[in-house]
Amino acid sequence: MSASTTAMGLPARSPSRPGRLGIRSGRYAFLYLSPALLIFLVFTVGPALFVLYISVFDWNLLNSSLSTYVGTANYRNLAHSSDFWHSIEMSAYFSGATVVGSTVLGLGIALLLSSRGLVRRIVRLAVLTPYFTPLVATSIVWVWIFNPQFGLLDALLRMLHLPQVGWLQSTTWAMPALIVYTLWHDLGFTVIIFLAGLATVSTDLREAARVDGARYRHEVRDVVLPQLTQTIVFVIVITTIDSLQAFTQIYTMTQGGPLGATTTTGFLLYEESFVFYHTGFGAAIAVVLFVVIALFTLIQLRLSRSRTS
Amino acid sequence: MTPRVHNEPREGTMHWHRGTLVAVAAFLVTGVAAYAAYGATTSRRATVNITFMEAMSSGTQKPALDLLTKRFEAQNPNVHVTLIAEPNYGVLLQKEQAAVAAGQPPTIAQAYENWAASFADAKAIIPIGGYVNSKTVGVKPKDQAQIWKGVWKDLFLPDGKIWMWPFNKSDYVMYYNADRLAAAGQQVPKTWVQFATVAKALTKSGNWAWSTDTGTPAAPADGTIVMLSLIKAFGGTWIVNGKPTLDTKAAIKALGYLADLKKAGAMQLGTNYPGETALGAQRSAFDLSTIAGYPYELAADGGKFSMKVAPLPSGRNGQGNAMAGTNIVIFSKASSAERAAAWSYMKFLTEPRQTAYWAEETGYLPVTKEALPTMKKYIATHPYQQIAAQALQVARGNPAYGWWTEAEGYLTTAMQQVLEGGGNPAHALATAQSKAMAAANQ
Repeated sequence: MSASTTAMGLPARSPSRPGRLGIRSGRYAFLYLSPALLIFLVFTVGPALFVLYISVFDWNLLNSSLSTYVGTANYRNLAHSSDFWHSIEMSAYFSGATVVGSTVLGLGIALLLSSRGLVRRIVRLAVLTPYFTPLVATSIVWVWIFNPQFGLLDALLRMLHLPQVGWLQSTTWAMPALIVYTLWHDLGFTVIIFLAGLATVSTDLREAARVDGARYRHEVRDVVLPQLTQTIVFVIVITTIDSLQAFTQIYTMTQGGPLGATTTTGFLLYEESFVFYHTGFGAAIAVVLFVVIALFTLIQLRLSRSRTS
Repeated sequence: MTPRVHNEPREGTMHWHRGTLVAVAAFLVTGVAAYAAYGATTSRRATVNITFMEAMSSGTQKPALDLLTKRFEAQNPNVHVTLIAEPNYGVLLQKEQAAVAAGQPPTIAQAYENWAASFADAKAIIPIGGYVNSKTVGVKPKDQAQIWKGVWKDLFLPDGKIWMWPFNKSDYVMYYNADRLAAAGQQVPKTWVQFATVAKALTKSGNWAWSTDTGTPAAPADGTIVMLSLIKAFGGTWIVNGKPTLDTKAAIKALGYLADLKKAGAMQLGTNYPGETALGAQRSAFDLSTIAGYPYELAADGGKFSMKVAPLPSGRNGQGNAMAGTNIVIFSKASSAERAAAWSYMKFLTEPRQTAYWAEETGYLPVTKEALPTMKKYIATHPYQQIAAQALQVARGNPAYGWWTEAEGYLTTAMQQVLEGGGNPAHALATAQSKAMAAANQ
């Protein structure tokens, strides 16, 4: 670096100035980090701590001076709330299906698209496009696709002389419909990650396996997948966090209904906090959700570190 | 630099100068005094700025409100009104809450009854009875009597005080496909019994009578509001003595009535305004919705058939109807000058000429009967306005309790349990009542 800068006619670095290591470990590091740190403290850590604070109050959103301290009552109510446990079930349903679906379908599509060719490039673009579309707009389009009287899906069912399904009005079908939409929208992201992972897989090993007579499925199972383990874990962790935070499509397509069939914990948080104004109770839900998501983030960090080392 | 040589002034010149100085001093004293007097006058007449947070931002609503506001400012040059338009009621509520929580509310804002109840509990708004009944700036008793009964009742909170002033009001009507009724040899139903008969008669060949959306607990929709209207028509109540009454005999009968229509295939459930979509597509024959939705119904109809409007059918207790639309509240942070200016603006908006203009431009209803004579020409071409306006006499707004949103959500859940899940109306409503009561007691 210094050689190149000297070659470019720039003055050589003064020996009295602290080196990179010195800056990193010294007071300059705090100085340079302080703007970002301040923003992080004010807009992330501060609000998070405030939510923790609110969660021990019967909080009056409009006039905080009328709030009353209730200790752990909100958490105890949460533990005894059937709505909360139902939302945990729904979150597990939604997250389980989207994580498995994203991983399996994402990997499958990435494998199909990993080789070169014009058609595959077009298909790759088609798979990636939904991910770049706005959730609200495409959710509304899918509301119409799922419409029981005028929707595309029921029109197909009618053509096949199959019974009509009220997708978003049915307690049985609303969640699968939501999952289908979410997979359609988010699959592009996991495909990108898997394509990046596949690019790092040793082609020598794959060719060696083929020379040794391995069939394609054996090549994938015994050569590709072991080298993609870190990528797969990364995708699982990221999609789990995303699915636990999912809100927009639920808000737009089902509003948590019918009969709570799509009320995930994230949606319940919104409903309790901003529809019914049980702000302290909603904050307690947020804290629990935060802990769960933080656990997954820690796992991701641990895995990233082990991959780096 | 050479110093300048001053000439010795002559005496006469000196006198002239003295006179000039006295004159200038006198002029200055007079000027200062005049300026002070002028300042005192202008401070009494200083411009009062008020802010109005509202959601009248779409279609003809925005230009109509802009024009009315300009007219008001022209009549009241010392008042300046800043309109803070929000895209919809959901955003409006969030903005109002955030502004109140931050201690920087607008001077006035649109508010539903239960919003007003929550604001009043938090001491964020003021009662306005003093202004309404004031002999100098208030509304005369004879003019108060001209405000539709339902609208007038809607201005009070349970403490018996006036906290709101009416603004954009609408209620529910029955839109119908007149061609399809005529082709089937059916009359326009006037009672709910007739409605069920006609609805079932029209349900054939893949078509049905009425589509609606119950909504969800987080956002009850037209289906739930029609259920509330049915409860009233069947002789029931929504609340008694400040507590919910969702499991009355009338409520059970109303939900059973809807379940019967659903079972017969005459009623279909959907989302995203299914009523106007199905009516417009000529798959259904009725839509029960607010009169403010008339332009949307008309757009869905697209001139394919003759769409007409009738009052909601009646039950043994007459017509039940739910009032939609909001009132205006004054926030307590406003200074006394701002409160007075805000009241004069609110009063102006509901005067016959203004409320008539507002109704003709937007499709909302005039809040006072005094506006109808000035709307004769308009009503001749838009007869549905009078039908809906007259229903304001019986229509009732949301019960003005903060917990009502939650209670209404439980009613929606009960409807879904019965209409979608085939549950028992009495059991579903008993559960809703129990949860609503718990919410009310919190």
